[in-house]
Amino acid sequence: MNWTLLKRPRILILLFFLLIALLSINPSFGREGIAIKSIEPLSDAANAGIIVPANLNPKNREIIQSINNVEVKDIDSYLAELEKVNYNKTVRLTTDKNSYIIVKNSEHLGISIDKIVNSNIRKGLDLEGGTRVILEPEEKLTDAEFTTLMQVMENRLNAYGLSDVPIRKASDLSGNNFVIVEVAGATREDVEDLIASQGKFEAKIGNETVFTGSKEDIVSVCKDDGTCSGITNCRQAEGAQYQCTFEFAVQLSPKAAKSHAEVTSKLEVNSTFANYLSKPLDLYVDGKYMSSLQIASSLKGVEAPRISISGPGAGATEKEAIDNTIREMNSLQTILLTGSLPTTLKIIEIKSISPSLGESFFKNALLAGLAALVTVCIVIYIRYRRIKVIIPMIITLLSELFIIVGLASLFKQSIDVAAIAGIIAAVGTGIDDQIVIADEIIKGDQTPLKQSIKKAFFIIMVAYVATFASMFPLLWAGAGLLKGFALATIAGVTIGVFITRPAYAAMLEEIM
Amino acid sequence: MGENVEKFYDIHYKKLMIIPILILLLSIGFLTFNYINTGEIIQRDVELKGGIEVTIDKPGLTSTEVESILGTKYEDFSVRELSDFSSRKSLGVTIKISNVDEDELKEFLSSEIGFENSQYNTRIINAAFAESFYKSLIIVLIISFILMALTVLISFRTFIPSVAVIIAALIDIISTLAIVSFLGMKLSAPSITAFLLVIGYSIDTDVLLTTRMLKRQNSNLLSRMVGAIKTGLTMSITTIAAMIAAILFAVNPVLKEIFLIIAIAVTIDIIATYLGNAPILMWYAKKRNIK
Repeated sequence: MNWTLLKRPRILILLFFLLIALLSINPSFGREGIAIKSIEPLSDAANAGIIVPANLNPKNREIIQSINNVEVKDIDSYLAELEKVNYNKTVRLTTDKNSYIIVKNSEHLGISIDKIVNSNIRKGLDLEGGTRVILEPEEKLTDAEFTTLMQVMENRLNAYGLSDVPIRKASDLSGNNFVIVEVAGATREDVEDLIASQGKFEAKIGNETVFTGSKEDIVSVCKDDGTCSGITNCRQAEGAQYQCTFEFAVQLSPKAAKSHAEVTSKLEVNSTFANYLSKPLDLYVDGKYMSSLQIASSLKGVEAPRISISGPGAGATEKEAIDNTIREMNSLQTILLTGSLPTTLKIIEIKSISPSLGESFFKNALLAGLAALVTVCIVIYIRYRRIKVIIPMIITLLSELFIIVGLASLFKQSIDVAAIAGIIAAVGTGIDDQIVIADEIIKGDQTPLKQSIKKAFFIIMVAYVATFASMFPLLWAGAGLLKGFALATIAGVTIGVFITRPAYAAMLEEIM
Repeated sequence: MGENVEKFYDIHYKKLMIIPILILLLSIGFLTFNYINTGEIIQRDVELKGGIEVTIDKPGLTSTEVESILGTKYEDFSVRELSDFSSRKSLGVTIKISNVDEDELKEFLSSEIGFENSQYNTRIINAAFAESFYKSLIIVLIISFILMALTVLISFRTFIPSVAVIIAALIDIISTLAIVSFLGMKLSAPSITAFLLVIGYSIDTDVLLTTRMLKRQNSNLLSRMVGAIKTGLTMSITTIAAMIAAILFAVNPVLKEIFLIIAIAVTIDIIATYLGNAPILMWYAKKRNIK
């Protein structure tokens, strides 16, 4: 080993960046348990004091090690143990940070869990599984309205139990604005209604609006409480379909209650069913009729502060009908809790990938990358047949790869399929550049080494600037959909040109 | 061997240029023919046209099976099999189809093929957005090309050698487009990004050649050229070999597409650079008396 190599600034810079990459990726092995991904606000777990800081590195998530003193091996064993606990009883969770006593009022305690990750590398949607929705506002919004829009969406997702969901604004070259929402591990059905519907709720009797979904009218909404919200009567309807009805209570403001009294006072008692008034209360969401409630005749002209809201859900089997109804109820409760969006949204693109397909794509991409790497080694061995040239080349190549992934982890950039393509492309130009350097140095003419390297770097810099320039416009195109790819390529070639390739030249200078 | 190449170039260099010119004309002809027949120089994928992309990752499902099932109800769709390299077994299929309601399609597929919900992956793309996405990507491609051309012009500050580099890049892009279209591939967003990468890959061998031939005096022009060809071919062959290896192993269609386009373009680039750019530089050097 040639120790003078370690005194060269270019080698030291490379080592410095390798260290940063290692610290950012922070790999670890053999940890057991399951990770807490997020906590639903106001849930059992939140009440017990479990907090998940915003924007937490995946590696730093709190890890559940045991439940009721039974060791947690995987997600299934955890869920099985949790299911044994009856409602209103307590659960003891021991994590790597603390121990919590939680009263179980809901099935999952409001904890969303995930497998333990062994590094800080963030995988993109197409490698992890989940749903991405791109929406475009139907009307032009001001910046302030746009912020409100994103805020309401975030509140909705949180209230629905999906927290830590990245919602971002994107625009394209023609100045159109979009909202991009990515929810790992959620299905299309979960996300679609929840974020795309404007959520304008209206309760009407005849043509008269009695109250709306605004904060002035609805003071509170009963959610996740079996005493005032749930599913009532499920039955097989005509054909093979099953139908269920959900019902939950809302608290009306004095103003809304008064309006209820005024409108109902004008109604007659129903001529056939004397228990009810002549007209029902019709419920609409975004102008679409949802359901009607018969109003008890005793409520005529009464200021009713508490009212029950109901709606239907259907499915091919009874279980499916119940699941759909619960989802309908949850999204309506969420919409009423969080208010309406400033405008309606048009769905531009929905992409949904199952976690299993994402996982197999990820493993396969690694395999393809490895195949490319081995092939490169074989080709350069055949060409040079000199270990002194090849070993530094491979070291440089691997360092380049490691630093790109490390910096992506450091800047919390996720790596998706397109980014992998960009990284492979960047490393590919890296090999090209190293061949240029190697050939300049071992050409065997009388040119001094320093000058040869300088010449090599002129070629490298022109090619670099051209690649940089050709990727640059992509950062803004098409709602930023290809930003990951452009960033990976630009970062990759930049790291290569300024860090790893100079180090490669230094290694060759030293050992040739 | 080097001497033979030198001799060959010295005598025949002007004739060599016919090959890239023919390839370019043939490609332009093919793309024009496409345009007249279909209104597009190359068919677009649902991602740039609008429509639905469904991936069912049910192992053993074959594309012929799914094609015949879909054929009973729909027209104008494409089915591609995701196959595993080591076992050559199908891991599932990707279906692309336009102008169809997604719920209806899912129900149809579910009853005809049968799959778990977790095996069903969708992507639904709004047609108007796809159209504007496509346009913006074409604009990006043009801007990128112009920026690359400016970079080359500023770096060399000589007109003819710079134009030779730019023309070589143009041949790469147009001919690759023609080959990709000929192979029946459709243009998608990842494939356009691959063309952006081609701009970068294309010019490095040209810059190497120009720099070695025009900016050095250490040996004679011909041996400098042959030296540059040797280095450049090593670069290109390494890239092509790596891409082919990656294509063989990759399952993900996006990755396969990007790698295939780069492999084709780098192959074309060997022709454009050493049969097009190199002769132009020789002719230029001889006129300028660069020895």
